[in-house]
Amino acid sequence: MAKQLAFHFDSSACGDCKACQVACQDKNSLPPQMMWRRVFQYGGGNWSPENDIPGLFRASGVFSYSVSTACMHCQDPICLKVCPAEAISKRDDGVVLIDQSKCVGCRYCEWACPYGAPVFDETRGVMTKCTFCEDLLAQGQNPACVDACPVRALAFGELDKLRKQYGNVDAVEPLPSDEYTHPSIVITPNRHSQLSGTGTGTIQNLPEEV
Amino acid sequence: MNIREWALIAFTILTQMSVGSLLVLWLAHYYVNRKVGMKEADRLSDYALLSLVVMFGLAMVASLFHLGNPLNAPRAVTHLATSWLSREILGSVIFGFLVLVLGVMQWRKIGSFSLRNVIAWIAIIAGLALVFIESRVYMLPTEPSWNTLATPVTFYTTALLLGSLAMGVAFVANYAYLQKKDPQSSKVQAELVRDSLRGIAVASVVLLGIEFVAIPIYVAYLSVGNAASLTSATLMIGPFGVVFALRLILAFIGAGIFGLFLYQSARSVGEEKTLGYLAYSAFVLVLVAEILGRFLFYATQVRVGI
Repeated sequence: MAKQLAFHFDSSACGDCKACQVACQDKNSLPPQMMWRRVFQYGGGNWSPENDIPGLFRASGVFSYSVSTACMHCQDPICLKVCPAEAISKRDDGVVLIDQSKCVGCRYCEWACPYGAPVFDETRGVMTKCTFCEDLLAQGQNPACVDACPVRALAFGELDKLRKQYGNVDAVEPLPSDEYTHPSIVITPNRHSQLSGTGTGTIQNLPEEV
Repeated sequence: MNIREWALIAFTILTQMSVGSLLVLWLAHYYVNRKVGMKEADRLSDYALLSLVVMFGLAMVASLFHLGNPLNAPRAVTHLATSWLSREILGSVIFGFLVLVLGVMQWRKIGSFSLRNVIAWIAIIAGLALVFIESRVYMLPTEPSWNTLATPVTFYTTALLLGSLAMGVAFVANYAYLQKKDPQSSKVQAELVRDSLRGIAVASVVLLGIEFVAIPIYVAYLSVGNAASLTSATLMIGPFGVVFALRLILAFIGAGIFGLFLYQSARSVGEEKTLGYLAYSAFVLVLVAEILGRFLFYATQVRVGI
């Protein structure tokens, strides 16, 4: 298999601090409404009333965990396939990039990508997305999100090696099934993690947070 | 909904209406040509063909308003290998070019009728292919409310329904103009307009029937699908329920009730004025209904994932 860079995300370690998200905004000078990396908090369960004591509730199956997401630099990138302007390309190392000088700003990739990775830049009229911090990679450094994580829940590397080390999970709720694009993501699940398609919870973030 | 999304509504409705219009126009032209000859056929359809060129020109202009970076617009045809959107742009350019060629040949009387007939049918086939390509643009695996057979079915019904009624308007408007210019020789035209409108009325009632079968099946299909598809169905009958109902009612009145009146009035001689009012009303009602339908198509779209 050709070289494919990938992120590893350890959901069992993530504490939902969103440092990765903030580091991404900072490194890429993104305004608040443009988010290349987003941390989803997924949770469910309910509270049942205690019969004898009014006003007291007992937790029943309440759970919550977080998933940090960005562009998955997919093995089968649907954004690249649908782009009418050949503005999206996949490098030899598997990184998927948008060339803004070729983009027509039709936002078709936004409709196609199930990870919401392509983000429209209203001021320039073109699409943008996670670049895997290709400029930092070229200098031998880590992507900003990876370095910002205080609990080392984010890492990156060769997809094959990460799979061998951490397993094959690439789709937990609220992520979509991996069938659409074969995302280059390796997830160490949280003890509460539910596989995509089997979810009993909902996204807990406010809409403007993600 | 912002200007970019309204641009898509305008583009898809106008391109589809143009394709349907060309088919209806040429069928009428062909029929009249065989019945009473080329001179009357040209008198019936030459101005209608002009309206069609304007219609398609507006569609192309509207498409530019959808782009965030219109300066790069020519790049949008570079990815024909895998992008249906690229194919749509190329298809639109080809159809537009053929319609323009046909228009110029008709107005300047260049070439024989059989040559123009061939060009017209090539343009019609290109147009029907364009409507198919347009539906494929939306049939993305990650968009369950679009990735159904309902997308091509509704795109074709929009094309034929609006095409029929738009040409109905064009024929009665053309007749009113001819009558003002030369009341004597417009008698033959009156009969031809009545003939054409009878066909248009029948078509609109049949197409309404297809729409009224397809739409409930579509909503039922969405409501048994995955989470995203269920959300689309809920949006359609919940928050957008009023628009959805209005869309169905207007289509029913426009294509159904006015369609029947149109047929009735096109059967009797000397009712050209009534026929005109009916043709205009039916077209406006169905146009609004189809715009609302296309609005819902975009507004109830829910992508899978995050």
